[in-house]
Amino acid sequence: MASEPLAGAPLPWPEQPGDLPRRFASRAALEQQLRALFPEAPGALSPIRGGRRQAEQLLGRVQPERYAKARNFLNGPVTRLSPYIRHGALTLAEVRDAVFARTRSRQGSEKLINELGWRDYWQRLWQQLGDGIWRDQEELKTGHQPGAYARELPADVAEGRTGLACMDGFIAELHETGWLHNHARMWLAAYLVHWRRVRWQAGAQWFLRHLLDGDPASNNLSWQWVASSFSHKPYFFNRGNLERYSNGTFCRSCPLSEQGCPFDASYEQLEAELFAPMPAIRSGGSDRQPRRQTSRGSATTANPSAFSRPTRRR
Amino acid sequence: MQQPILWIHGEALGPANPALRAHPGRPAVFVFDAELLAGRSPTTGDPASGAESVSLKRIGFLYECLLELPVSLRKGDVAAEVLAFARAHGADGIVTSAGTDPRVEAICAQLERELPVEVLPVEPFVTLQDHVDLGRFSRYWRRAEREVWAGWSPEQ
Repeated sequence: MASEPLAGAPLPWPEQPGDLPRRFASRAALEQQLRALFPEAPGALSPIRGGRRQAEQLLGRVQPERYAKARNFLNGPVTRLSPYIRHGALTLAEVRDAVFARTRSRQGSEKLINELGWRDYWQRLWQQLGDGIWRDQEELKTGHQPGAYARELPADVAEGRTGLACMDGFIAELHETGWLHNHARMWLAAYLVHWRRVRWQAGAQWFLRHLLDGDPASNNLSWQWVASSFSHKPYFFNRGNLERYSNGTFCRSCPLSEQGCPFDASYEQLEAELFAPMPAIRSGGSDRQPRRQTSRGSATTANPSAFSRPTRRR
Repeated sequence: MQQPILWIHGEALGPANPALRAHPGRPAVFVFDAELLAGRSPTTGDPASGAESVSLKRIGFLYECLLELPVSLRKGDVAAEVLAFARAHGADGIVTSAGTDPRVEAICAQLERELPVEVLPVEPFVTLQDHVDLGRFSRYWRRAEREVWAGWSPEQ
């Protein structure tokens, strides 16, 4: 942790008793003070720093065309701007204008602008739904009743000791940094909801406690998208998908890599294992079943973003 | 309002905050919301579940954003703290920025029992005339995409 002093912007009015401190000898001193001021808040500071200066540095590094090509990889060139946008250190309009300023061909920036659109879309929905954003927007399409899902986060998940190198890695990063690549959020959410059969609200609340960019708009609606209460089908993935977009990092060190990986199967096998047969969508003779959404599903939805909107991948 | 104070909330911790822009130099306050940080508001917790506190990471991130702004920091009950700040500065009103979180509006309603409140709009990402169907993203984006891109030109 860097040791330079942290001094707040000067205030042209006198301080009052009860004002919180605005001057610290170092970031470590800030952490110490915050622990004393907020004793009920667990954990430590994130290595990700808040503030406009940090946000502007990240904004300066945005590469819309590279983003469009490689954002789905965990080590891909995503913007990492979401915490700053969520708290208004940067507005979505400012990010839009910065992208426009370096756009020579519209096509190269369309994907990034589209992802900013997702953020705007979730915000508009939050405004419309209010606190109803915690309730299922639609029925689940998993074939399971809502009551079949556990209410609480399982202890091994909360503690990051599931035994799966990928999931434990994502959980550790969530807890330590408060930020996860969108693809990791999707995989972790699908694991919790579909493999562990936990209601999405437990996962959404867990994420909101930790994510620096956490708000019920992007977060809850993306959990609902994975769960299938805000999409036509549940989202799930398999090992091939995770291994590809994580460059095999986790599988190489996973004790279950050779045997016992719950994701190591075809989509057909996983679908049969995770979901119950669905009743026909329409009564009156149709026996069509809704197709479920997989990481290689059809191309009717968009792709992952830094704004916690999940998707399927080919 | 001749002598307002500014209420800064967690959706506008940057220089684009319209209250800071409209009233540079006026006393401004941010309150760490005890209920929200305890997970007892729908902003951070499922109303149908038990409350769990928000982690220190999130508080630290907000704190570092706030240190770059001219704003006094308090913690506790937001409306009570903002009103106490307004009294201490002899304010005749409160200026803030619009928020998406329903909690912002609810707090404004509490403030208005004591002082007039002006809520300034934040520059939108896109302005859409009349009703937009938010049933699925594709329906929204069919309308929004053209409007957003109208703001770009290759000669920029």
